[in-house]
Amino acid sequence: MTPDADATSKISTGAPRSTEPEDVAATRKATYARLFRKFVWLTMLCSVAPLLLVGWGINLHYTRFARQRMLNYFETQVDYHRKIIEMFLNEHSSKLQLIARTHTREQLAHIENLQEAFNALNREMQAVTDLGLIDARGNHLAYVGPYDLMSRNYAREPWFQKVMEKGLFISDMFMGFRKEPHFIIAVTQMKNGEKWILRTTINTEAFRALVENVRIGRTGQVYLLNEEGVFQTSPRSSGAIMEKSTFPMGPFHEGIRIQALEGLRDEQGHEKPRQIACQAWLQDPRWLLVVKQDYAEAFDDVNYANRWTLVFLHVSALSILVVSVLITRHMITIIRRRDAQADQLNEQVLQAGKLASIGELSAGVAHEINNPLAIILTERQLLLDAERHLPLDGQEFREQLDDSLNQIDVQIQRCKRITQNLLRFSRRTESLIEKVDLNAFIREVVELMDREARSSGIQFYTELDPKLPPLLSDPSQLQQVFLNLITNAIDAHDGKPYGSIRLTTRADDARGQAHAAVADTGSGISSEHLDRIFDPFFTTKSVGKGTGLGLSICYSIVKRLGGSISVQSEKGQGTEFTIVLPYTPPQELQESLAEKTARSRRA
Amino acid sequence: MAGSRVLLVDDEVIFTRNMSKLLMFRGYTVTAVNSGDAAIRELEQNSFDVIVLDLKMPGMDGITTLKEIMKLGLFTETLILTGHGSIDSALEAMKLGAYDYLTKPCEIDELVAKIEAAGAKKEGKD
Repeated sequence: MTPDADATSKISTGAPRSTEPEDVAATRKATYARLFRKFVWLTMLCSVAPLLLVGWGINLHYTRFARQRMLNYFETQVDYHRKIIEMFLNEHSSKLQLIARTHTREQLAHIENLQEAFNALNREMQAVTDLGLIDARGNHLAYVGPYDLMSRNYAREPWFQKVMEKGLFISDMFMGFRKEPHFIIAVTQMKNGEKWILRTTINTEAFRALVENVRIGRTGQVYLLNEEGVFQTSPRSSGAIMEKSTFPMGPFHEGIRIQALEGLRDEQGHEKPRQIACQAWLQDPRWLLVVKQDYAEAFDDVNYANRWTLVFLHVSALSILVVSVLITRHMITIIRRRDAQADQLNEQVLQAGKLASIGELSAGVAHEINNPLAIILTERQLLLDAERHLPLDGQEFREQLDDSLNQIDVQIQRCKRITQNLLRFSRRTESLIEKVDLNAFIREVVELMDREARSSGIQFYTELDPKLPPLLSDPSQLQQVFLNLITNAIDAHDGKPYGSIRLTTRADDARGQAHAAVADTGSGISSEHLDRIFDPFFTTKSVGKGTGLGLSICYSIVKRLGGSISVQSEKGQGTEFTIVLPYTPPQELQESLAEKTARSRRA
Repeated sequence: MAGSRVLLVDDEVIFTRNMSKLLMFRGYTVTAVNSGDAAIRELEQNSFDVIVLDLKMPGMDGITTLKEIMKLGLFTETLILTGHGSIDSALEAMKLGAYDYLTKPCEIDELVAKIEAAGAKKEGKD
């Protein structure tokens, strides 16, 4: 037997390959879904993920960098303002010390001299309010200023004690005799073993302006705290000068510190927004300079840039994703369309194969009918001859007439049998699942092909298992399978004067399968062709003698019916095709055919 | 040419029997055989003017028989008679040296005309 082929070698194959059972639709759907997911994941992996990673990385780096710059700016602000305050205090301390050193107590006790010194202190800016000369007992020796303080004694004032100890003292803010917040700078000088003090009051407004007028954003504020946490200047919110602050200042430290303030509450118990605070201690006096701003405002620019970068990044990633999804969907649609076209072509090929095999069968049948017709024609001619040359009432004419009529009847019956067989076959064009007696079916095929085979010197043998139950299968498809296999088997004997084709069936009840084999004594199939015999359009027959579709169609049909087909062949000895068919076809096929039938009936 | 010797080769026994009768009635000397092998054997023993050869036969088919006939180197002309729908094999036979072909079923007059033409050609060769 050839597969549309003459060939060689001994190999068996049942290579299952997916063709086109109806469950293919579900499989394809899953494949498309898998393909879709794969494309989308691949796009995400190759473009979206790198974009996000790089974007996030750059954004993180930039955010850190920008925040660090912001913190540096805070530190610079604190350092700058600390220096300004220290410079202010140092300048006035130094000026006071200079006056004390360059003047005697007696000189300064003269009010004119003290006034002159006071004017000198205020020459550049109205930074001091008053200037007083005080003896070691705390009594004013002279005083220049807006208050009447000559009668006051400071011996019990804390600042007096300190300045007497240290020689130079800058006080914290205190109310004093004038009952308003102020602070003083006082220096001592020794004369004849007795100390005297030159004391000045810093213009509170000027000093506070120096600190409080520093504007940092909308929520930023700068203030000073003494070691006890009492405001030395007024903060812009949450407190006033001389009031106790809730700021967590901690112990004295060198340098500048930054801390984030979270969970703090105002006087009403409302939680304050997260703040960033930068602090630095002044050396003398021990005041803490605090620069504070709401975290959100401090990093507003950074957050804004960060936010928009992330928005742009994610919109870009989303766009890529959406575009890739749309493109993939479009591609899948194209693939689906192509597959549908391929299915259609496949269907057409199957139909063409079916027509080809029916055409081939018809040619054989035509030959079979022509023979009896030729005999009928000769009988007619014999009768005509007899009519012309014999007496019509003679014995010889009567015998010829009887003989011819009998023969014509025999040949008509022969034609009838052939055409009935052909009709039975040609009627089986619609695919439907019904009970098929495989043994009877094979007998029919054999009967139809017998003459064709015999004319090629080929004898059919059948070994049919009587216990084989009827199968639920598609007779039109099975018919084509056996026609193709038997036609190939006959063609495989090309060049051999005699041969045989053995058809066997066997029931495998345990597995619910029927085995049918078509074995021939033809030329066999070579090993290099054996793997390809089920491929469409593969043929070793000469051009015009085979389409190369026969075995491919057999393969498709058998798979579609839920079975398998395998081949064993030995070059020069013959080939055996074995078909295994389930007693019942796949449920999907039954449903699909039922639906198809219903559709066609409706149409 | 009435009197010509015709060898009829066809596996259909009834057909060869009837055709023999018809041809004999028309004056031909007819020998009918039902296989290629028998035809070769007959040709080896007797001479014929025209051979009417069916293409589809079990065992040795018409084409193989024709090849064997040509190997014998006879001057006999061969007419191909085929019931096959396709004329490809008939044309192939003509390439191998057959004189002409007819398709079954054919009228006896048509066959006789071809036999006559073939016989005339054979006469020419002789």
